[in-house]
Amino acid sequence: MAQGRKGKLNYRCPRCLMREIDMDMLYDKDKDEYYCLRCSFTGDEKEVQRLNAEFRDKYRARMIRITDF
Amino acid sequence: MSEFYLNIIHRPEMVPEYIQKEAEQGKKEDLTRSAVLLESLDIFRTQQQIAHDNGLRTTIQMTYASLFNAEAVEIAKEHHEQFGDEIGSTFLGIQCAEFREKFKSKELAIWLFSLEDKRIIVDEVFGKFHEVFGFYPTSTGSYYMDAELVNYIKEKYPMVKAAVATCWEEGPKAYWNANNSWYTLMDGGPWNPWIPSKRNIHCIASNEADDIGIVAIPHLSRDLMAVFDGPGSYYGTHPQNILRGMVYEDKELPYFKNIVDQYRSMTKYNRGYSYNMMYVGPGWMSKGGRWESDYAFLLKSFKDGMAYYGELKKQGQLQDLTMSEFADVYRQNRPYTRPECTLWKDILYGSRRQMFWYADPAMRFCLDMNQGGAMVDLRPYAAKLIRPCGVGTKANQDASYPFLVQSLYRAGFFTHYAGEGAVKSCKIGHGSEQVDLCTCRTLASFSEEGETRIVTLDPVTIEFEGFSVRVQSIFRLTEGSSEVEIIRRILDSTLPEADISIDEYITACYGTTEYPEDMTGIRLSLIGADKTESIEYAYQCREAKLENVHSAEALIPQVDTHLSMRADAPAAGYFREGFSFSPMYTLGIQKTVKAKGELRTWLKVAKAS
Repeated sequence: MAQGRKGKLNYRCPRCLMREIDMDMLYDKDKDEYYCLRCSFTGDEKEVQRLNAEFRDKYRARMIRITDF
Repeated sequence: MSEFYLNIIHRPEMVPEYIQKEAEQGKKEDLTRSAVLLESLDIFRTQQQIAHDNGLRTTIQMTYASLFNAEAVEIAKEHHEQFGDEIGSTFLGIQCAEFREKFKSKELAIWLFSLEDKRIIVDEVFGKFHEVFGFYPTSTGSYYMDAELVNYIKEKYPMVKAAVATCWEEGPKAYWNANNSWYTLMDGGPWNPWIPSKRNIHCIASNEADDIGIVAIPHLSRDLMAVFDGPGSYYGTHPQNILRGMVYEDKELPYFKNIVDQYRSMTKYNRGYSYNMMYVGPGWMSKGGRWESDYAFLLKSFKDGMAYYGELKKQGQLQDLTMSEFADVYRQNRPYTRPECTLWKDILYGSRRQMFWYADPAMRFCLDMNQGGAMVDLRPYAAKLIRPCGVGTKANQDASYPFLVQSLYRAGFFTHYAGEGAVKSCKIGHGSEQVDLCTCRTLASFSEEGETRIVTLDPVTIEFEGFSVRVQSIFRLTEGSSEVEIIRRILDSTLPEADISIDEYITACYGTTEYPEDMTGIRLSLIGADKTESIEYAYQCREAKLENVHSAEALIPQVDTHLSMRADAPAAGYFREGFSFSPMYTLGIQKTVKAKGELRTWLKVAKAS
């Protein structure tokens, strides 16, 4: 199998991120997939982005400008 | 003129952590690699230009490495002349070829060296600074500056008046977040600037004799709710921290402005004063991108943040000061006893949750309105613990200030199956029914009466079988008293003659992490008019109760703290010893009332020795 290398934009593992652990993934160019050394996650860029969007869902006020304090 | 003060700090870090370690993966470590040096200096220059373009002045904190770089030194001198930026010194970024050659160490954290090494490094860094600029800096900093380090700096370099001294709540949560590899274990300090104690940097000085001689500034202004339960490096006045936390959509992050505005609103709680600090190291704006963001987004977020500060300045709603200027302004109007207060509201998760944070020379605590105003964090500053850190000390890397209550590390109201967690709350009962106010979420408002700050919670309704009561909680904080006065008032009852019990309690422990500490030897006491009951903690589940109690007390020798509760009217007091599966102690005061009745208690934190 190919040597894992730093991937595009330093993608962190989205599953570890759900546990608030910042864990950079390695990229396997032969399989075109990212993988995590910690939690066994594997997935392509699209899957990483889908899970990252899911992570952001907890911030329900992320796009609201709040000025009333 | 607005009293919203801003410190912007930049540092020319020649070997930024993330550029060297992350973006350049695949290459051997080389502290002199010209590509890294050039990129870092370029980022520093960009940051400075963005600040200046928005009419904002900065404090340039020269790293040790940058003192050897003629271009970095020239930029600093030029910007000092042209824009009035302050040239200070930082102990971040000490690693460089010269440091490695001289000290033979890869240590990057000044607070983790031995005290002897700290002194030698301070002299080297300040000496080099003087050699380059012809004067000593008046501001300095790091992620953490322990009291022993600052005491030495003040002794040798008395002109230093300000330091970036801690990252707020950057403790075990930051460690977990960084895959247990980031040793900034420094929970327990204030979230806004303070004058530290000579004995412990986290503690607010009690008086002139206790004053360490600098104004301490926290590293960034943090979200006081999100960071209590999450990584500090996701939520603060650092745009790239926010990108790391992924609090954005479509390359927009209104959350940054929401944090700034919530800090601006703190004028309501702090006699018209509020503060912000922005400090982005060059490594966060790497040309290679970081945190799933390309350089264009890293740059945009930085520009947007700075533009907001610039806009506020133009509107006369912000004063941009350098660190040393801010220290002078802060000291002009800051009695030692004045507390820092904040009723923080959720700006992230879409709830209406509020948390009230309080810090003065005796204590720091947090009330969570989601849990009926329960105290979920309590740090005994009155103990002013001398707790050195670094190589050769008992604490070593653990630079946190101990808690008595930390509901996230030690359970709080909800526990699994057995035992009790650390929290201070109140139970309202009738017959065999009992309801903990932790289960009655509410909202709060803040007011003042002379030197007393008051947090008044909206009433909550408690339903017993066949009738209900409305209960209100009020917290009164009188400046300089070292006490929290707590009123639990039964406003009305649908069955006015029914007996209602009020049980004010604190379940506590001590520690700095989520793991239990040895409780052996903690002394629990009930003091009455003619009787005293007392035990030494031995995990034996013992309990005692005393009518007409004067006070219920705990002496915790491990953190040199004396914790006590008293009432102003006849009431019963009790203590409960825990057991190994629930290593807590509980102190409580109980009273039975009818509608319109109340229980008024005082929680006091004092130094034991």
